[in-house]
Amino acid sequence: MEKTDCTALTMDVYSRWRRPPQPVGCRRMRTSSSFQWLLLSFTLLYLMHQVNSQKKGTPHDLKCTTNNLKVWDCSWKPPSGAGHDAVYEVCIKNRSRSCNQLEETNTKILALSPGDHEITVRRLHDPRSSMSKFILNEKNISLIPDTPEILNLSADFPTSTLHLKWNDKGSRFPHHSNVIWEIKILRKKSMELVKLVTHNTTLNGEDTVHHWSWTSDMPLECAPHYVRIRCYIDDLHFSGRKEWSDWSPVKNMSWSPGSRTKVFPQDKVILVGSNITFCCVTQEQVVSAQIGNKMCPLIHLDGKNVAISIHNISASASSGTNVIFTTETDIVGAVIFAGYPPDIPQNLNCETRDLKEIICTWDPGRSTELVGPRSTDYSLYESFSGKNVKFKRVEDSINESYQLFFHMIPDQEIYNFTLNAYNPIGRSESTILVNITKKVYPRTPTSFKVKDTNSTAVTLSWHLPGNFAKINLLCQIEITKTNSMEELNVTIKGVENSVYLVTVGKLSPYTTYIFRVRCSTETFWKWSKWSNGKQHLTTEAIPSKGPDTWREWSSDGKNLIIYWKPLPINEANGKILSYNISCSSDEETQSLSEIPDPQHKAEIQLSKNDYIISVVAKNSVGLSPPSKIASMEIPNDDLKIEQTVGIRNGIFLTWNYDPNMTCDYVIKWCNSSRSEPCLMDWKKVPSNSTEALIESDQFQPGVRYHFFLYGCRNQGYQLLRSIIGYIEELAPIVAPNFTVEDTSADSILVKWQDIPVEELRGFLRGYLFYFEKGERGTSKMRDLESGRSDIKVKNITDLSQKTLRIADLQGKTSYHLVLRAYTDGGVGPEKSMFVVTKENSVGLIIAILIPVAVAVIVGVVTSILCYRKREWIKETFYPDIPNPENCKALQFQKSVCEGNRTLKTLEMNPCTPNSVEVLETQSAVPKIEDTEIISPVAECPEESSDAEPENHVVVSYCPPIIEEEITNPVVDEAGGTSQVIYIDIQSMYQPQAKPEDDQENDSVGGAGYKPQMHLSIPPTVEDITAEDDFDKTAGYRPQANVNTWNLVSPDSPRSTDSNSEIVSFGSPCSINSRQFLIPPKDEDSPKSTGGGWSFTNLFQNKPND
Amino acid sequence: MSRREGSLEDPQADSSIASLPHLEAKIRQTHSLACLLTRYAEQLLQEYVQHQGDPFGLPGFSPPRQPVAGLSAPAPSHAGLPAPERLRLDAAALAALPPLLDAVRRHQAELNPRAPRLLRRLEDAARQARALGAAVETVLAALGASARGPRPEPPAAAAAAAGAFAAKLLGFLVCGLYREWVSRTESDLGQLVPGGPA
Repeated sequence: MEKTDCTALTMDVYSRWRRPPQPVGCRRMRTSSSFQWLLLSFTLLYLMHQVNSQKKGTPHDLKCTTNNLKVWDCSWKPPSGAGHDAVYEVCIKNRSRSCNQLEETNTKILALSPGDHEITVRRLHDPRSSMSKFILNEKNISLIPDTPEILNLSADFPTSTLHLKWNDKGSRFPHHSNVIWEIKILRKKSMELVKLVTHNTTLNGEDTVHHWSWTSDMPLECAPHYVRIRCYIDDLHFSGRKEWSDWSPVKNMSWSPGSRTKVFPQDKVILVGSNITFCCVTQEQVVSAQIGNKMCPLIHLDGKNVAISIHNISASASSGTNVIFTTETDIVGAVIFAGYPPDIPQNLNCETRDLKEIICTWDPGRSTELVGPRSTDYSLYESFSGKNVKFKRVEDSINESYQLFFHMIPDQEIYNFTLNAYNPIGRSESTILVNITKKVYPRTPTSFKVKDTNSTAVTLSWHLPGNFAKINLLCQIEITKTNSMEELNVTIKGVENSVYLVTVGKLSPYTTYIFRVRCSTETFWKWSKWSNGKQHLTTEAIPSKGPDTWREWSSDGKNLIIYWKPLPINEANGKILSYNISCSSDEETQSLSEIPDPQHKAEIQLSKNDYIISVVAKNSVGLSPPSKIASMEIPNDDLKIEQTVGIRNGIFLTWNYDPNMTCDYVIKWCNSSRSEPCLMDWKKVPSNSTEALIESDQFQPGVRYHFFLYGCRNQGYQLLRSIIGYIEELAPIVAPNFTVEDTSADSILVKWQDIPVEELRGFLRGYLFYFEKGERGTSKMRDLESGRSDIKVKNITDLSQKTLRIADLQGKTSYHLVLRAYTDGGVGPEKSMFVVTKENSVGLIIAILIPVAVAVIVGVVTSILCYRKREWIKETFYPDIPNPENCKALQFQKSVCEGNRTLKTLEMNPCTPNSVEVLETQSAVPKIEDTEIISPVAECPEESSDAEPENHVVVSYCPPIIEEEITNPVVDEAGGTSQVIYIDIQSMYQPQAKPEDDQENDSVGGAGYKPQMHLSIPPTVEDITAEDDFDKTAGYRPQANVNTWNLVSPDSPRSTDSNSEIVSFGSPCSINSRQFLIPPKDEDSPKSTGGGWSFTNLFQNKPND
Repeated sequence: MSRREGSLEDPQADSSIASLPHLEAKIRQTHSLACLLTRYAEQLLQEYVQHQGDPFGLPGFSPPRQPVAGLSAPAPSHAGLPAPERLRLDAAALAALPPLLDAVRRHQAELNPRAPRLLRRLEDAARQARALGAAVETVLAALGASARGPRPEPPAAAAAAAGAFAAKLLGFLVCGLYREWVSRTESDLGQLVPGGPA
């Protein structure tokens, strides 16, 4: 606030000072403008000085503030020289009684209306002083509220909450205003700022005490806390300047610790994932701190107090999470329980079971991870009645049942339930609005009873607890009898805790039923549980039908056998006690009465065959309607026996419609193996039917049944069809019995017999005949079905065929024969037999004749050759010896010779030599090695052996190496020996020598060439074995075509080794036998037992053998 | 087990019997009971720490021994005392244990309501301590050295713990003391059993 003149001047100067720079057009005068500015500055300084000088002589610097908008508090500075006793007159223009005299330099004036107001301040009793005029406007007033005062600061230590209380002194303000409070929280003795918050309120013209709370992240016990407050009044009507009040004095909140070390907070329950600070208030040095097993860094507070801060804590176990501080002498700690607020109760459902009490159930949803006193509490609040019930927890139950019982309010049907869930962390709720009459889940009916009304009706009664007087009940009665079940719904008017009665009709007489009941309401919500089942037998009634009847004439045709079936339970209507039978004709009636029930057959001797038989069943109530059947059998000559096979479990029969059949059709059947008359069962079908499926539990697969279809005419039954069939065909159970009728060298004739029907088990479709070569024990005919190529199969489908000739067989060969029968149900077992074909006599004859013929031919050719070459032979072998008598030189006088008997020099009389000298020595005998080379050459001179009577080497190319040390009796006398060596041609070209053992074996085996003319061995040397061997080895050997011959029997070792190793035998040019003069040395000499062969072998050596 | 406890819970019926064979049988029987309870006490402590969370269940967790109101730990000089005096101390400690064990069970019922085995063991332990104490007193009476008058009941506040952690710690200490005193009783009775250690 300034004096008016000063103000005008000042404003003028200010306006000049604030004048903006000139535009660009004035730039050319920039130098002169700078000068002008400088001049003005000096002028201004001068004027300011003058003003200040003038101020000091008058009251000046009027300033006004307000703290309540009602009164302005104005003050000014006294003029210089004014003493403390100066008196001022303050006048406000345009206001009555506007002047006041004051002895102070401040005054309180009532708030002025908006706009400028002139105020004059003049010092009284001072002639030198001039009056100061001030223009006062609200805009120049500062609104500075009074410093607020904290009425109370309290602390809730368990929750670490500070509660602040102060008065806004709103009554001092003329109108409503917004107030902003600023609150400062300081911690520790060093007064560290922890929190600075603003709090908005409104002044309402009255003194109002405000409350503000703040929850500390650190327990308040850990350190002292300080609070200060200030305010700012935001009055919309006030146009002056608004300022914050001063800060209030500090309020202190501290906790006085005892001597013991303590940890804060204790047993805190917090939300999982939140942060928390623990502190240890102690007089000792804290060594460490940990949460669970995890160490935490220490935060030092005042003194030796420490804190730890835990972030994002995880859910605790049941007993909480331990926080432990370890001091030098002790451990202290606290437990924190981190969990979740209660989930919204899910599936809240309220229903009643008796319309007396409402049961509300729910699912608590997510686990809070809190147990015991920290677990969730529930309360159920009904808003219409205002009633509330609380949930009582069973602590030791893990699978808690969450349900609450609420007693129904009389005449109240609509209930609005709110289920509140709360725990130390939070709360939640769920609501449900129910019309309880539509949420009735009745209890299980009890005292359920059944009472007979008549044979087809019973009365059921049961008790149902509950107040159902105002509603209808819907009850369901389950009626069960054998193989059927029926449910019956009945609506019953509800009553109060009473018994309900229902009559159930349309039952079958003499039938066992099981009844049970359950109930709901007509406005269905839930069925009650079923009551206990009650078994009940209805009473008897007369049989509803007569028994199903059939008749058969006895085989002699004199007696009629009457059959009837027991009535089914639904037709007997009770226990059948007996049957009555009557046979009536036009002339007579015969009766049989009181045939007891187990008997279902009766025989009556009738004089003729035209009767009507009537059968009646009787139970305790009465007689059934009669069942009638004609006895006459109408003959049918046109009958064929047909075959059929069942479908699934029955035999399906069809026939053509016959209008003559007026009654019904009857199909009877029996086991075909039974003797006539046989009857297993029968079935009646209506006369308009043309088909029937015959089913019976007695049918068995593989059993032949005989079915007879009868048609009923008025006067009797006529057999229409006769059918044999199987319900299911099976494979024959036995094999056909077969024998071998005839056997030749190349064929076998087999004959078999039929299989009995009982063992056939199906319609015979044919026989399978298998045969292969093989002997008993060696036959490979194991799996006949595998289709092996070496097994020959003949399928005989002509059932009339009873024999089979198998041709193209090999002579004297064992054959394995198998015969099996088959039906559509499969192939039966096999019967097998081994047969050996006879020997082929033609082949044998041929085998004998051919070598004989060859021998004859050879002999003839040899004879011819010898005859034609007889001169040469003679010249060569028997040259003519000249007769010395014809020699002239030696011609003596005939007389001398003839006359002188003493001259005997050239006389050719036989003479006996005294001794024979062998000129050739042993060294001249060729060695084996040499003979190997020359042997091929030596094979030709076949006659040379004869030409060289002694000391020669016989070289053969046929036998394997056999060394026979031959003792020549002649040479032996001279002390020398000679060897006969057999060399196999093959061994010649296979230089590797066999082991001696092998050689011995081979020689013993007798393979290869052997001398073909056996020497006459002295009886002293030969033994029995040798005689046998002689039989096998001696004699003629056919040498032609030897490649096809096998020198050994098929079972000889050589044969099994390799057929390809057949030893070459003989030579094309050596068809003559060779005679050895030297017999075997001893018993160890090679035997020729294995080298023999027979004609049989010759003809049996076929490739497939 | 229950039959044996039942017979021991009514020791006064045998108090007048002081014949030597009967005394030996009584000592042997009480010693057997102490042996059995020593094993049970060990199991109880193991079960207890398993349900208190870390670091109770960690190996090596050994808080400083703090005094438990109404019950002290066996003194080191205990072994040097005469047998009747030792048994007297055993009986006194066993008499003080049941209310403490009951208090621990109540705490645990709040902390671990879903640990029925632990709660049952605590309940059993209180009953068994009572039975063993009574049996020891019977032996004392048979030895002619009856217990010294009625002992004051431990103050109820002694069992009250400020906070769950203190309750856990108290339970740990009580279970430990229970094990120690039962074991000590077994040892003291073992010295009286004919043929036992001198």
